[in-house]
Amino acid sequence: MSNSHLFLKPGFIKVPLQNGVGRYVGQLQRVVLKFCKSSGSSRGMREFIEADLVDFAKNNPGIVVYLKPRRHRTAIIKAEYLNGDIQWLNCRNFTKDEITKWIDLLKTQQKNSTGMRIRKLWHTDNPSIQGPWTPFTFKDPKLNLAKFPDEELSTPDHLNRTSQDELVELFKQQKLEELEKCENVERINATN
Amino acid sequence: MSLFKPTFSVLRRCVALNVSIRTSESRSIKRWVAPTLKELYRRREKVGPEPEKPRSSYLEWNYEAEVFAFGKRLGEEFDRDILKKALIQKEYANIQEIKAKETGQNLPTITDNYELIPEGDGIISSYVMTELSKKYPEDIAKAVTNYLTSEEMLSYIASHIGLKDLILTNEFPVANSTLCNTFKAVVAALKQSQNLAQAEKFIHDFVLSQLNGKNVYEIWDPKEPYKYLTRLLHQRGIKEIEPRLCNQSASNTVLACFQVGLYSNRELLGIGWGESVHIAKDTAALDAIQRVYKNYTTQLENK
Repeated sequence: MSNSHLFLKPGFIKVPLQNGVGRYVGQLQRVVLKFCKSSGSSRGMREFIEADLVDFAKNNPGIVVYLKPRRHRTAIIKAEYLNGDIQWLNCRNFTKDEITKWIDLLKTQQKNSTGMRIRKLWHTDNPSIQGPWTPFTFKDPKLNLAKFPDEELSTPDHLNRTSQDELVELFKQQKLEELEKCENVERINATN
Repeated sequence: MSLFKPTFSVLRRCVALNVSIRTSESRSIKRWVAPTLKELYRRREKVGPEPEKPRSSYLEWNYEAEVFAFGKRLGEEFDRDILKKALIQKEYANIQEIKAKETGQNLPTITDNYELIPEGDGIISSYVMTELSKKYPEDIAKAVTNYLTSEEMLSYIASHIGLKDLILTNEFPVANSTLCNTFKAVVAALKQSQNLAQAEKFIHDFVLSQLNGKNVYEIWDPKEPYKYLTRLLHQRGIKEIEPRLCNQSASNTVLACFQVGLYSNRELLGIGWGESVHIAKDTAALDAIQRVYKNYTTQLENK
């Protein structure tokens, strides 16, 4: 995510009205092409209207196309979607091909997609399959048969060894070594 | 904004002119420009936002084309006259008649969707109920049917298939009840234009598909789950249920948690937890009901 996206409204990918579960409904409901009949900046729009518009309307009977000629104003495409969104596109000095591409984009998207930062490329309504955690969720089965009070279970899990314990262990080790030495000496004496 | 559009365009031209005639002594933008713009902005703020207008009041609006595209968009072949009739509200038709009388015009009488509404309502609820009862027991099927045929749900669907702009009514913005009624009328119109099977397919695709990703046990909410469970098990020959407190944790604190299991003849029926024993018992009962109904549906399918 770059800095320019920081102030965009964040959101998730969402389908309106479970579109496509039953049948697919194109979400663009009407498109208004505004243009000037004489201005040079509307030239591409005029060419599009002359060459491609009839075919577009024939191929997409579900989209209502309106033409709105206005004197000396920039060419505009205004797309209205079924969920109430309106996308407004400035087409100043656009060529015919550019306009074809933009209209194709407007036709295939499901809403006004500008101004939203997609937080993640996936989304789920049910993030947890196991359900909420409770104190009994990952309980050790061994606890079912334990009898309380239990000395082992009563001690803390991670108890550091005290210096006294270490001393006791050292002392025991020393004793053992001494015992071994004595035994060795006895064994040597016996063989001799 | 349209009120000030000409003024703004004149201003913009002035500003552009000023920028182009740039001399070393004069300012590039005149002293009067900023205060004037500020004053215009202040007046605009004072007036407030423009009220919303219905889409049909715009210059670019062709009702015939809109009605044609409505059917094509949904992939349905509507009879144009019946569809138009389904979109006319009774109040609107009445007012148009009164207006025609006042002006002395002899208009043909406008037929409204008043008769289509109950017909469509019948088609929707009976089809949804039969489809759901194939999969769920009656109580759940009823609850889910109520949810799917509620005014809120039907108006939501109606507004998302583009009916909001097409309805001929006196009110603006269009009320939810009007949207809901018109949707019912459109279903009836589809049945009259084609046949019942096509109307049912339409309901299947637009109404039943709203259940996608939803849990029916969250939509259906029995008021007293434990009582419901005892009644349910009684029908199935299980007379005694024994609730046992399986676990408890932090019982005298705000984070108390109890786990209750429901047993019958040493067999676990359902298990649940909650912040008190009663809540835990109810959640356990809900769990038991779900387990019972799971078996119930598989039994049905096996038959």
